[in-house]
Amino acid sequence: MLRSGGLSTSSSDLLTARRRGSVRLAVALAGAIGALAVLGRSTDPASKLLPAPTAPGGNLLLGAAIALTGNANLYGQDQRMGLNLARQWFASTSHSRPVTLQLEDGASDEPSAIAAFNLLIRRGVVALIGPTLSQQAFAADPIAQRQGVPVVAPSNTASGIPQIGSFISRVSAQISVIAPLSIDEALRRQPGIRRVAVFFAQDDAYSTAETAIFQKALAARGLKPVSVQRTQLADNDFQNPITAALQQKPQLIVISAQAVDGGNLIRQLRELGYRGLIVVGNGLNTPNIYPICQRWCDGVLIAQAYSPDLNTPINRSFRRLFSEANGGRTPGQITAQAWTAYQVLFEAIQRLQQRGALQGVTLEGVTLGEARTLLMQEVLSGRYDTPLGPIHFRPDGEVVQGRFYVAEVQMNASGRDGSFRLVHTVEVNNDGIIAEGRS
Amino acid sequence: MIAGLLQILLNGAASGGVYALVALGYTLIFSVLGVINFAQGALFSLGGYLTFLLMGGVIGVNGALPGGHLPLALPFWLALLLAAVGTGVAALLVERIAFAPLRRRGAEPLLSLITSLGAGVVLVNLLQILMGAEGYAFPQGAAALAGLPEALLIGGARIRTVQLALLLISAVAVAALTLWLERSRSGQAMRAVAEDPTAATLVGINSAAMVRLAFLLSGMLAGLGGGLIGVSVSLAGPYFGISYGLKGLAVLVLGGLGSVPGAIAGGLLMGLAEALIPSEASGWRDALAFAVLFAVLVVRPSGLLGRRVLEKV
Repeated sequence: MLRSGGLSTSSSDLLTARRRGSVRLAVALAGAIGALAVLGRSTDPASKLLPAPTAPGGNLLLGAAIALTGNANLYGQDQRMGLNLARQWFASTSHSRPVTLQLEDGASDEPSAIAAFNLLIRRGVVALIGPTLSQQAFAADPIAQRQGVPVVAPSNTASGIPQIGSFISRVSAQISVIAPLSIDEALRRQPGIRRVAVFFAQDDAYSTAETAIFQKALAARGLKPVSVQRTQLADNDFQNPITAALQQKPQLIVISAQAVDGGNLIRQLRELGYRGLIVVGNGLNTPNIYPICQRWCDGVLIAQAYSPDLNTPINRSFRRLFSEANGGRTPGQITAQAWTAYQVLFEAIQRLQQRGALQGVTLEGVTLGEARTLLMQEVLSGRYDTPLGPIHFRPDGEVVQGRFYVAEVQMNASGRDGSFRLVHTVEVNNDGIIAEGRS
Repeated sequence: MIAGLLQILLNGAASGGVYALVALGYTLIFSVLGVINFAQGALFSLGGYLTFLLMGGVIGVNGALPGGHLPLALPFWLALLLAAVGTGVAALLVERIAFAPLRRRGAEPLLSLITSLGAGVVLVNLLQILMGAEGYAFPQGAAALAGLPEALLIGGARIRTVQLALLLISAVAVAALTLWLERSRSGQAMRAVAEDPTAATLVGINSAAMVRLAFLLSGMLAGLGGGLIGVSVSLAGPYFGISYGLKGLAVLVLGGLGSVPGAIAGGLLMGLAEALIPSEASGWRDALAFAVLFAVLVVRPSGLLGRRVLEKV
């Protein structure tokens, strides 16, 4: 009994002591969290007031998280070129608020894109450009959205990107609008097409989304694929899927892949004897395919959101700068879209600065957090004359672009370089196609 | 039906030959040192790029020296041979940096997995800095197979001519290596070192030289493979050798660690397993190929032709 009672008493003391300890620990933790929150708040760049444009640190920071490494780095390199050209060009124009561009490698995967977004936000950027891949955007954009940082996506064309949040917008028209246009061009050239083979990179979110749109467009035109071949981004030997598809004697082949694997696929299709039409998706919308499929690229059809042939002052300037920096080459869509993303933010900042001065509410009188909100509103309300043509935004951040193009790859005599030759211009409004023009 | 079967066999042999070539590189080093050189995939990439540059290939706009090229433009076959030698030298460098210091300090052999992996990552990144990330394709007709059509029809089965050439060269390289190991004095010395390095040293064989020779040869095999794949399917960025390296590693295990005939049999089996996968499931090719590996290892843990090692107590 004593033993039992004694034990009982000491257990109770122990329990009480533990409870006291737990309470102290909880208080200490709460205090630490509170202190961190206060410290964090005081170091949060969003709470800092913007200095005057001419004051030290008066440059507004724009951050760009693009794929400079990994399997999407070909696009990232194109984007870096577009951003750098835009930065040089707009810095040389008259402007009231200087802007500094900070590039960060968002690599080709989601964690890297998230890390790059976080880093740039902590450095106090007023807005972000990127990430390169739609798959990355679905992971990284919510970070920017939660912290109220505007994002302009230069190359995210999957459905649902602007719907991630009110701070997310894009200058890259979604694939559902563009992709079917090249199918129509193929059917216009060969109305008798009945047998279609489809190839897509199944481990790429963009390609799987795009092939669904291609296949829906084919079905809407009464065409059921006779063969659907799934490949992977890292594949470079397509002997198996090609021989399987060619056994079905296709008259048209539709490819959704990225530049390197897609370029290789085209080359091997031609080498293995396929002579019919080839339609490719946006992943191959880059001059980087030329050295891969070489003369076998010739005749490939592609729908584009950009044409180098667009004869406007801004596109002529863009083409000239690109050509000077790249030994006479012609820019591709991804470079043009990166330029456009920078242009949208740069022009919105300048408008905000000028209007603020007129209305007595200057940008330097607000915190960075408030400036971010004002900038997002300004981005969405503006109209922009870009290398892509005139664009503006819907309230949800979706780009409204009125003109698209169908191009055909035309390789030069050496078979090492080529161009996207414009064959077809399509004017589109929200109700669908309203006018077509052939070159 | 027969044409379909032949097509599968040809497809399987074409990819299996390359896998065997990569696996042989691993095999040589594993048999001598008992470790795996994880830089083998990066050396494979290096071989491809060296061949490209020796043929007068021009560095792309994203490289460190855009528009740069070597002041020579060798024919493909000569460039391939020189690139193989160059890659062999790079493999010797990897041995000096990633393996030799650990051996000297008597470190755990497992540590060299990490050092060789590090050397491979550095090599791939150097390639990316120098050459950029873009893909490179060899000039049309580079393999001087101009007299032949781009694809051959054999019994109703279709294969690209360059791929058939690649298969034949792989077979010749493998046969030459096997002959050298079996018949030559230096080959027999290497086998002796692989069997028992201490005993080999006692009978006067220079074990250190044999280790270096193993690295040189494995590097040359990687360089040969990289150049051949480059001419067959282009260089898909600096990382392209890594996937071949991983597949070669699987083949090494499948065939039996350290077994030359095992590497060949494993490569062909892996290629055939991939080719047998129906087109609708082509996206699951890697998963199914590795399932074959798993199944074989469950039945024969020492691999197809590997020797069971008896532990003496």
